[in-house]
Amino acid sequence: MRLLFLPLLCLLAPGAPLAGDAQASGLNSAAPLASRPGAADPSYLPELLAAARARALARDRAWLRLGHWRHRLLGGWKGEADGTGFFLAPGGKTDPEAELEATLRGFFAAGEAAPAGVTLADPSLEHPQCRFPARFAWLAATLPIDLARLPPRDCPRFDAFWKKVSARSATFVFSSYYLNNPASAFGHTFLRLGKEQMAATGERLDLIDQGIDYAANADTNNAILYAAKGLLGFFRGEFSTRPYFYKVREYADFESRDLWEYELSLGPRELALLVGHLWELGQTWFDYYYLTENCSYHVLGALEAADPKLELLSHVRKVTLPADTVKALFANPGLVRAIRFRPSARTQLEARTRGLPAHELDGVGALARVGAWPALEGLPTEARVRVLDAAVDLVDVRHGRDIVDGDKAADSLRQGLLEQRSALGVRSPPLVITPPSRGGPERGHGSMRLSLGGGASREDGALILAQGRLALHDLGDPPAGFSPRTQLEFLKVSLSWSGRNRALRLQDAALVEATSLNSFAGFERRISWKMRAGATRVADAGCPRCVAGRFEVGGGPGLVLGGDWLAAALTADAELLAAPDLHGLAGSGFRPGVGPGALVRLLAGERAALLASGAWRWLPWAVPRSTYDFSVEGRLHLGPASLALRLRRAPRVEEVGLMLLLYGG
Amino acid sequence: MRQARWLVAVVFLAAGAANAENPAAHGKATYGTAGCGLGSLVFGDQKGMIQVLAATTNGTFGNQTFGITSGTSNCGESAMTTSGTKTFIEGNREALAKDAARGSGETITTLTAMAGCKDEKAVGSMLQKNFSQLFPGESTPVEQVSDSVIKALRADDALACHTIG
Repeated sequence: MRLLFLPLLCLLAPGAPLAGDAQASGLNSAAPLASRPGAADPSYLPELLAAARARALARDRAWLRLGHWRHRLLGGWKGEADGTGFFLAPGGKTDPEAELEATLRGFFAAGEAAPAGVTLADPSLEHPQCRFPARFAWLAATLPIDLARLPPRDCPRFDAFWKKVSARSATFVFSSYYLNNPASAFGHTFLRLGKEQMAATGERLDLIDQGIDYAANADTNNAILYAAKGLLGFFRGEFSTRPYFYKVREYADFESRDLWEYELSLGPRELALLVGHLWELGQTWFDYYYLTENCSYHVLGALEAADPKLELLSHVRKVTLPADTVKALFANPGLVRAIRFRPSARTQLEARTRGLPAHELDGVGALARVGAWPALEGLPTEARVRVLDAAVDLVDVRHGRDIVDGDKAADSLRQGLLEQRSALGVRSPPLVITPPSRGGPERGHGSMRLSLGGGASREDGALILAQGRLALHDLGDPPAGFSPRTQLEFLKVSLSWSGRNRALRLQDAALVEATSLNSFAGFERRISWKMRAGATRVADAGCPRCVAGRFEVGGGPGLVLGGDWLAAALTADAELLAAPDLHGLAGSGFRPGVGPGALVRLLAGERAALLASGAWRWLPWAVPRSTYDFSVEGRLHLGPASLALRLRRAPRVEEVGLMLLLYGG
Repeated sequence: MRQARWLVAVVFLAAGAANAENPAAHGKATYGTAGCGLGSLVFGDQKGMIQVLAATTNGTFGNQTFGITSGTSNCGESAMTTSGTKTFIEGNREALAKDAARGSGETITTLTAMAGCKDEKAVGSMLQKNFSQLFPGESTPVEQVSDSVIKALRADDALACHTIG
């Protein structure tokens, strides 16, 4: 078993071959080592401690990254790991020197490593050499350690992990955002450790790779407690590993999220250190903060520890968005050596139905609804294959998750289609899907946006306009790298300064604004919807110029034409405004309103967008009895900045503004 | 104001009650009795709001099977062995059934390599031909599916699936 662990050491030991077959080089140099007596030379420890001190190794950035120590605001260090298993020194969390010395001492500890196949109640039951293989390997190479005087131990548990992942490559995977599934509003990132095996035909066998995930380990089933705990760091975040096929099924099949895969050009050394370090991280936990120290943050942290040359976390903001972590990879030139796209169930369905003649599309719809379509028999075999294959994909997009959860009706519908399909006895041709031209998140604009400009309004004369947005994307922003049908914005504040009145005013403040445009014409018949929560300046006689809290929702049929050049939706809206001085419902400060809304968006490639929206509201038992709001906005995208021209009309507002939009972060 | 507080209380309780019907909702691996299927291992028993929240915040419900330093469990392995093949069939059951009906696809390519068979086209045709017996639908226990697929691969000498010999 020792042979398996040794590649890590041998790769890092000075003079070891850097490239080539990691497994083979490990085996070659392992043979003489394995035959040495296993006892460590205790007189060697003081020498190593002195050498580490003399070279101030504890301040080496590689060591600091292996321990995930970060500078504290008021000086000193703090390790991010919160579980007890990650530090050997009592004060190791805040003291990299003490931890380094305790680590060296630990390597000399007597006692055997834990046997294979057991789950330890406490990490301290394992020998330090086997708990910290990456530290051992790094110190052995850096100090260096004479392995004759401190022989590496057998580590059956780590060896089993090393063998399980058999890592030949590392890939950073981004699971896309898809707003119709709130689960994927921001996306998710994790690692895939690629195995060396290939199919006889030379195809990649990605499914049997190991996925390494960092996730919050939830301990409540109460949704509100869950949200609070997730935001405030009460959950434990832990690393876990599972075959990649579980991830593909979960994300791509059942949540319909496209996966973007970024293969990293890590050398064998870095790859070995990554595997060793993930093992170290696997025995501890971190307080999980949904917004900051989240999945994306810690995956970057693990990569930085494996390759100290990388600069990743310095490229993301305090609030870590998964898409920004993809950009951080690209901020290290040469790190990404290949990009692959794995289409979700919905993307596959779109590819299968694209270009089908109308009557075949009817057949797909009928089969996916009732499991039978009389006209099927009359079609040639290839057409029957096409129609049935698309129908099964449609059932999966609609009911995939229900089937796994035990929905009998959906299961028998699917089963019936699959039996019809298998009875044809013909192989389906491979489905070829080219990645979307808008590209992955690495092409997306910065999620923070700052806008400045000027304008004029009938009421206030000349205006200076300013707006800031924390995240993420609206329907008029440059479409590259984002879902073109989705708006998701957080913390957006708009201010205006009027020279005539010498007044600075809050125009609008959004906590969250979301819109999802969907075609009602296709198979899925999903409605388009929108949601806004925040505050706005009242634009009618209900409370002229006062700021009211606002909550608005709307939904209705939409239309999205091919290539997304035209998207539109007609919605039935409901909103609630609240302000102390508002002439609201029966004289109260609350003013509910209902009425129609409309939204049209035109895209001219990635260069320009035109957005028009309008809403009319009936305001029951309020003054006034109705109100409206119309706006048209044109955007011109000029690289890192955009120009926006906007006109707005409401009962007490007539305004035009020209702004420069700067993206960053 | 009193009304608002009342509303908060109702929402809070409702959020909890949604799960009260489901006392076993902890997604603990039922490995050993239910195989390595997605239902028990990946999705657990979370439904509705909590499921959405868990996915949004990348939360999991403590699935010990997949801990990095946990003792090895078959469901975490993806080795080219008989047990690896079995895990693969169970974890990909729905996708494999679809590819089997179509006679081709990524799961068949992978299964062919894992079981050490000679030719994925031949494996695809065999699975397609025997679709109804091998994949009778979700009500069949997942271990029965993996057993009968492996048996069928073994039985056909022409496929030469040497790993699962």
